[in-house]
Amino acid sequence: MSDAGILLGPLGITAVALLARRRLTPGWGVWIAVWVGLDTAVTLALTLPAIGRGEWGAIFLAVTNLVALTSVGDSVLWLREHTRVAPHRYYFWWSLFWAALLGIALSKNLALSWLAVEFSTLASAALIIEMGGPHALEAGWKYIVIASVGLILALTGIVFIYATLRYQGLSWATLDFSNLHAQYPQIAPVVQQLGAILLVSGFGTKAGLVPFHTWLPDAHSEAPSPVSGLLSGVLLGLSLFTVARAVGTVPTGLPVYFSVDHLLTLFGAISVVVGALALLVQQDIKRLLAYSSIEQVGMMAVALGLGSRAAVGAALMQFVLHAVIKSSLFYGAGHLSVRYGTKGLSDITSLWARHRLGALLWTLGILALAGVPPLGLAYSEWLILDQLWLHHAYLVVAVVSVSLTISFAALAHHLIHNLWGAPHESAEGQAPSDKLDVQEVI
Amino acid sequence: MNQLGLALFVVAVGLLWSRNMRYSVGFLTLEGVLLAFMVWAEVPWTAAVVLVGMATLAVKAVVIPGALLRLLRTWPADVRRDQPLPLWAYGAAVVVVLAVGHVIHLLASTGIVRNTILFFYALGAVHLGLVMIVARRHLLSQLAALVGIENGLVVLAVSVAGSLPTFVELGMLVDLGIAVALMVWASHRIHQVFQTTDVVALRRLRG
Repeated sequence: MSDAGILLGPLGITAVALLARRRLTPGWGVWIAVWVGLDTAVTLALTLPAIGRGEWGAIFLAVTNLVALTSVGDSVLWLREHTRVAPHRYYFWWSLFWAALLGIALSKNLALSWLAVEFSTLASAALIIEMGGPHALEAGWKYIVIASVGLILALTGIVFIYATLRYQGLSWATLDFSNLHAQYPQIAPVVQQLGAILLVSGFGTKAGLVPFHTWLPDAHSEAPSPVSGLLSGVLLGLSLFTVARAVGTVPTGLPVYFSVDHLLTLFGAISVVVGALALLVQQDIKRLLAYSSIEQVGMMAVALGLGSRAAVGAALMQFVLHAVIKSSLFYGAGHLSVRYGTKGLSDITSLWARHRLGALLWTLGILALAGVPPLGLAYSEWLILDQLWLHHAYLVVAVVSVSLTISFAALAHHLIHNLWGAPHESAEGQAPSDKLDVQEVI
Repeated sequence: MNQLGLALFVVAVGLLWSRNMRYSVGFLTLEGVLLAFMVWAEVPWTAAVVLVGMATLAVKAVVIPGALLRLLRTWPADVRRDQPLPLWAYGAAVVVVLAVGHVIHLLASTGIVRNTILFFYALGAVHLGLVMIVARRHLLSQLAALVGIENGLVVLAVSVAGSLPTFVELGMLVDLGIAVALMVWASHRIHQVFQTTDVVALRRLRG
């Protein structure tokens, strides 16, 4: 299947949203989900051999489509819960966001990846602004401004790299990942270092690496939950892997201090620490998940920074597992916050007594996120630690291990409170179901 | 080419200095025209050169300023002006422009910079835009700063690479057009909800 054929899925929804406009009711969501399901099934069937060969593009494509499918399925419920959001506008931006994500996944060229990442910012920011509340408007504005500045830095790095290799006369093919891999060691060390700093800080802003992460908790907590799932599960990882695909795993050839690998390890480790510590003090269920994403992306960055085949494989595994787990948790958090009429963690309590199945699923997701074996992330995190140990990065092993322990403790604390905690004083005497009724009446 | 670069740098200084949003829109229009001329200054003229120049003129000198002016007309006069530039911003602007000299020195041995003078003006304009985005408090000032930075980056690309691939240039223009449309829409909504255009009001979330 050609790249253009793959983009027919999202662009079909864009066309429907534009043509149907106000006639597109939440009921159409089921048919849109069926369309995405068909598209995902066909794409998966056609790319299965490539996935088997471990081709990054095919794996990214499969993960993007699978999370998009769950996201569009959850959108059906979400739009019924949020009647103020116009479905045609929602699906218009959602489909463009999906298209942008597919663009990043399919891209084999750094400039094209940059355009797709920038476009994903705009489409997802529009979805946040569509929410309309003061918090959402603030989050949307900060997201556009901070992410755009970050991406301008990345573009500056791309311009420098392009200028150095322009003598090849390949025009835009100069920035093909394959060409960059072949030519990057020949670039002057100063330009390599400058390019590394600009690319890592630029794409790192979109990946949510600390200290470029300030937009992330706000945007992820204010976005519609199905969109938060895509943002956190797919976009962060794809942005990070863009750096690795372009120049991250390329030997620099000359002694370069600020290489992409070094910077990824440094910012990755800081992100793990900051993400884990922030989990302890979160009061908002979606911000909790957002900070956890910073920690998980940090783990991926640390692994990519090592650069070995096994470490990069572990990072890829972390990306896939995190995408599935985190997106599901965001959908769950969205429904919980509607059910309880608040996103405050202190008010989301007694889940076990009130909704046994929901409590079970929520527990499973949080434990998977905390890295409890035999659930997924335990393996990828273990593999990353193993690789760090084999590379004699003992300080990083210590920092990451302590941070993961803190993260486990924080998530367990919040989970226990969610399941069996007593309602917050201000919420006492007001049952969650009552709040939902009041909200519906309003 | 260097004269056009100097003109763009001077306009970037004006953009940073200006408090009146209408003047800022005028400066952006001027930058758009200068960039279009810069594209057309390239010889020989090919279909791609003509196309990129036309698109630059349309997006940067007509569509973006037009959208901003249309929004400004809907706002009362008191929110069409920004706060005075803080004192530290003047110092920061001077420092970051002088820092460009150090970057040129660093890159001198690599031979990457084709036109040092143009590089100075371009990176200076980018740096001034970055100062503006931090120092200015009006929603549209931040928007204008982003456009200004992008304009500076285009000139930077000319100074080091001659030009960018056509699809990248056109992609950036489309991207910028959509970004501005989105930010204009967001500015309109923020003004409606917060009753102000001062970004200081946007501090409910903690980052």
